[in-house]
Amino acid sequence: MVLQESISTAVDSIRANLLRSLLTTIAIVIGTASVIAMVGIGSSAQRAIDDSISNLSARTLSVYPSRGRGSQKISAAPLSISDADALLKDKEINWRVSPEIRGSKSLKYKNESISISVIGARESYLSIQGYEIDQGTFFTQRDDLARKRVAIIGSSVGTELKTSSKALVGQDIDLGGVTFKIIGVTKSEGSSGWSNPDEQIYIPLLTASDRVFGRDRVDSIRVEVPNTYTPEEAMISIERVLRREHDIGPGEENNFRINDWSQFTDLQKQATAIFSALLIGIAGISLMVGGIGVMNIMLVSVTERTREIGLRKALGATQQAILLQFIIEAVTLCIIGGIIGVIFGSSLYFLVTVFQDWVFTIPFSAILGSVMFSACVGLFFGIWPARKAAQLEPAVALRYE
Amino acid sequence: MNIIDVKNITKHYSLGTQTVEALRGISFGIEQGEFIAIMGPSGSGKSTLMNIIGCLDSPTDGTYHLNNQEVSTLEGDELAGIRNKEIGFVFQNFHLLARNSALDNVMLPLKYAGVDKVDQIKRGKDALSQVGLESRMDHQPSELSGGQQQRVAIARALVNNPSILFADEPTGNLDSQTGHDVMQLFHNLHQQGQTIILITHENEVAAEAQRTIFIKDGLIESDTRKEKL
Repeated sequence: MVLQESISTAVDSIRANLLRSLLTTIAIVIGTASVIAMVGIGSSAQRAIDDSISNLSARTLSVYPSRGRGSQKISAAPLSISDADALLKDKEINWRVSPEIRGSKSLKYKNESISISVIGARESYLSIQGYEIDQGTFFTQRDDLARKRVAIIGSSVGTELKTSSKALVGQDIDLGGVTFKIIGVTKSEGSSGWSNPDEQIYIPLLTASDRVFGRDRVDSIRVEVPNTYTPEEAMISIERVLRREHDIGPGEENNFRINDWSQFTDLQKQATAIFSALLIGIAGISLMVGGIGVMNIMLVSVTERTREIGLRKALGATQQAILLQFIIEAVTLCIIGGIIGVIFGSSLYFLVTVFQDWVFTIPFSAILGSVMFSACVGLFFGIWPARKAAQLEPAVALRYE
Repeated sequence: MNIIDVKNITKHYSLGTQTVEALRGISFGIEQGEFIAIMGPSGSGKSTLMNIIGCLDSPTDGTYHLNNQEVSTLEGDELAGIRNKEIGFVFQNFHLLARNSALDNVMLPLKYAGVDKVDQIKRGKDALSQVGLESRMDHQPSELSGGQQQRVAIARALVNNPSILFADEPTGNLDSQTGHDVMQLFHNLHQQGQTIILITHENEVAAEAQRTIFIKDGLIESDTRKEKL
């Protein structure tokens, strides 16, 4: 019998038991929906991570002083502004260097007083971080060298001081007992997880060193390396300069450490992958359960339609024709479940993209793949009931009550 | 020339440890164009004989030639092919597919025969007009009366031009008037040269045929021909 004929017979019989058929496919729907949602969410998350990396035209490495580790005798040598200057003078890689001094100070404005995270940095800090100025200006190299008492505040600092950040531009504030003039406000960046740039105050590095914190020890040095260098090449260069600066002899260990932030995103990628794998596992189980459900309903269907099968055989249906008819019915059932699942999964994924502000992209291969997989589930679990149908004795089947 | 030649057919079933001898050696021939009734009480082996002649089942022993072809040794799909081409079945309870139109029901044997769609429709319509139901071809069985349903079933039996029209209690589920109409249809077909085998336990129905074979205890008890008037 022609394939098309079998398909229309299958659709007819599914339609005749619509509720039962739909209930049967629920597990298939759930399985396919989770595959689609997962692939979608996974690829969007991936894209978001990739974008955040490529947004930085360059790769940023951070150098920290090493904390003395118990057994090994590493003198905990601090990083200093001169280390940063040495890195800056080194011309092997045309990197940008941003040393930072951090600390917490109290900020007073009129009658309000808050505790605030202070960052002393060079004028390049803003662009290395990818921040932007909303109002006023950032400080210049001249301000830094002159140790000027000027500051830029994050966008939400004003609110904490019961006023607006914009209104504070041009005002004097008291930062740890030193009077500063606010000359600018950054655009809102949002929390990055462990720090919130909107709630910080930025001052020139040398001002921070000489007037606020009284130390030339820096907390970290950020090195922005063009993408044409690998992180390994950059690390070797940084190591070379700092080992020389710190007088570290051959064979001795570094007394500083270098972090590559892209490693963090690699971890994030891994976590996403594990998460996806887990959910695909769940999807696999529900497709399996769905398959068993389909097998069950097909067995019921074969029993219910024993006389129909007998009749078809009496009229000349071969075993193969009956086999094909029931397999196609099982496969059709699963494909319908798969398609409903794709619709549900895409809707779920769409909602997530709306909330996360992600790009909605479902690879067509995922849709095709999950529907095909549902079809395979139908094929696999449909074979046994179909064989049962095909092997019925026509004389017995015709008289089945 | 005999269209059906049955020689010494036996059929044994095993029911648990017991062996039931449903047919114990049956021989007869049916000529082209005969209208014959097979009768017998229940348990006589009538149904078993019908299954074997209808190629729904194979005999344990003996030979069965249908159209000069030995079919008693065939199995499964080979028998399906014979049923499709040589035999048209009409059943007591019509056995129409409930969700298909009359035309679709009639076309079903042609689908299994691999006839192309255009021919299927043409021959399906022809068969329906032969039983006077071409106007009802789009109706589903539930929209047809019992007599109409049986006529659709007869059209389905005829659509592939079978050697034998095989009717199992065709009037069993019909009132006497529609039963009579259906019998009249059989007479018409017979007059056109169709070989018809009627399985029944009703004497009145059997009386319509030219010849009656009576089965009892797995053997032919009598084989009588009506005198031609």
